[in-house]
Amino acid sequence: MALKIIESCVNCFACEPLCPSKAIYEAAPHFLIDPKKCTECVGDFDVPQCAAICPIEGAILDSLNVPINPPGSLTGIPPEKMAEAMAELQAH
Amino acid sequence: MELPVLNAPQKSGCAASSCGSNDDQLNHLSDEIRAKVQNHPCYSEDAHHYFARMHVAVAPACNIQCHYCNRKYDCANESRPGVVSELLTPNQAVKKTMAVAANIPQMTVLGIAGPGDPLANPERTFETFRRLSEEAPDIKLCVSTNGLALPDAVEELSKHNIDHVTITINCVDPKIGAKIYPWIFWKNKRIKGEKAAKILIEQQQKGLEMLVAKGILVKVNSVLIPGVNDKHLAEVSRIVKEKGAFLHNVMPLIAEAEHGTFYGVMGQRGPTNDELQALQDECAGDMNMMRHCRQCRADAVGMLGEDRGDEFTLDKIEDMEIDYQAAMEKRKVIHQAIEAEMNSKRAAKIEVKAEKLNTRPVLMAVATSGQNVINVHFGHAKEFLIYEASPNGVRFISHRKADQYCGGDTSCGDGESVLQQTVRALEGCEAVLCSKIGYEPWEMLENAGITPNGEHAMEEIEAAVMLVYNEMATAGKLDEVKQRATA
Repeated sequence: MALKIIESCVNCFACEPLCPSKAIYEAAPHFLIDPKKCTECVGDFDVPQCAAICPIEGAILDSLNVPINPPGSLTGIPPEKMAEAMAELQAH
Repeated sequence: MELPVLNAPQKSGCAASSCGSNDDQLNHLSDEIRAKVQNHPCYSEDAHHYFARMHVAVAPACNIQCHYCNRKYDCANESRPGVVSELLTPNQAVKKTMAVAANIPQMTVLGIAGPGDPLANPERTFETFRRLSEEAPDIKLCVSTNGLALPDAVEELSKHNIDHVTITINCVDPKIGAKIYPWIFWKNKRIKGEKAAKILIEQQQKGLEMLVAKGILVKVNSVLIPGVNDKHLAEVSRIVKEKGAFLHNVMPLIAEAEHGTFYGVMGQRGPTNDELQALQDECAGDMNMMRHCRQCRADAVGMLGEDRGDEFTLDKIEDMEIDYQAAMEKRKVIHQAIEAEMNSKRAAKIEVKAEKLNTRPVLMAVATSGQNVINVHFGHAKEFLIYEASPNGVRFISHRKADQYCGGDTSCGDGESVLQQTVRALEGCEAVLCSKIGYEPWEMLENAGITPNGEHAMEEIEAAVMLVYNEMATAGKLDEVKQRATA
């Protein structure tokens, strides 16, 4: 049972001081979670703290590798709208 | 074109340019506050012609999300708040600050403004402030925050020689706030919607009151978002003034799809120049308004409107040996010389008055790189300062960015289209004052209804603007309602 930080992490440091188990550490190219230490905050908080402050959709996965903050959930930008805008930009 | 004879300065009354207008928005402040901000380029319009500032990017974490921000902050090419090229540790930030202070002695102010929220990174932010207040005591320290963590930080802020804080307050109504802030992180939870906005607003207002009670100067920044808070900001301005903020800075929303922000992707537009100016004028009845903000990056270095960050990257400062004691001596001499220059210019200010009293106001663009004189070639201008001349005098309105179309070499590339962009950026202006101007832009400006003028090189800006205004008045150009040039 452990969460995971993946490559879309922008290294903003927000999660690191919040981790009650000190499982999060600075690494290159991005922060990582030590799976041996991560408790998913069970017993400490109602919600995993790293996922509750992370501003990047998709950057933190649960133990089943599912994003805790899926596309659109934090920015409010509907994923299809984002895809549309990006396609338009690439066309130029 | 005939140049009118300079009016004899009139001794009675005050300078036309500064009486009752905001030539220097600090006119109405107490002497104590004026003394504090006279060399702060962000707080004093006058000072920004002479003094430089820098930001150190030590604060990457944020505790809220704003719809105008994309948290993928790492970008070399964009110039907007919340964007940086490299994050610094407090140690690197101290080294960089001292390197800049030694090499750009007119740098008087060090700010921490991100790329996240400085107070959401209290250890990194306060470590930087603690060390700088000890090791570089001649540098003013300031911080910019969204306000969520502010009440808890006021005590610590007051310890570090920080006498200026900027709070970004976009609303005082949670219903409006919910359209600007999708979430906040608060007491170990992510909170969304109006509930989140309500907490944020309460924290901002409480923080503002606490800072004022401590005697710390507070400036309030607001982002003007058409259709969201445009009708609400006059109320914000009134409330923050009542609570003791000394300056209000209403900035235009920056929203482009390529920035990947909510507003950018969803097609929210920014305000037009006219909308921004109208709101600033509306708020000005209640509040000292700031109009010279350049919305700089969280790692900007140099005079407002310029960025010399490339000269002070980590690998470059690594090799610099700085003797700060010696630098401080040198800085002191230079600061005294600048202040003497500012004072003597103020004293020797040429008072040019409007000759006719029934003419309409005119906007003019000025190319300057500082010292409050017209000293930049049209094609080299990175930005133009916009002044309004009227029978009441000359007042500073805003700046507008221009893409430099002339790189000084012979190959012009797609120069023409960039020149067209520059001309479009000057829409609404009827004259542009610069040190020199080439034939091609001259013609293009005239076709756009903007009169180029290179006759006032090295002259003081406001006097020159009024001379040109009087020239236009004499020529009978200002008697009727202005007809907009169509681009």
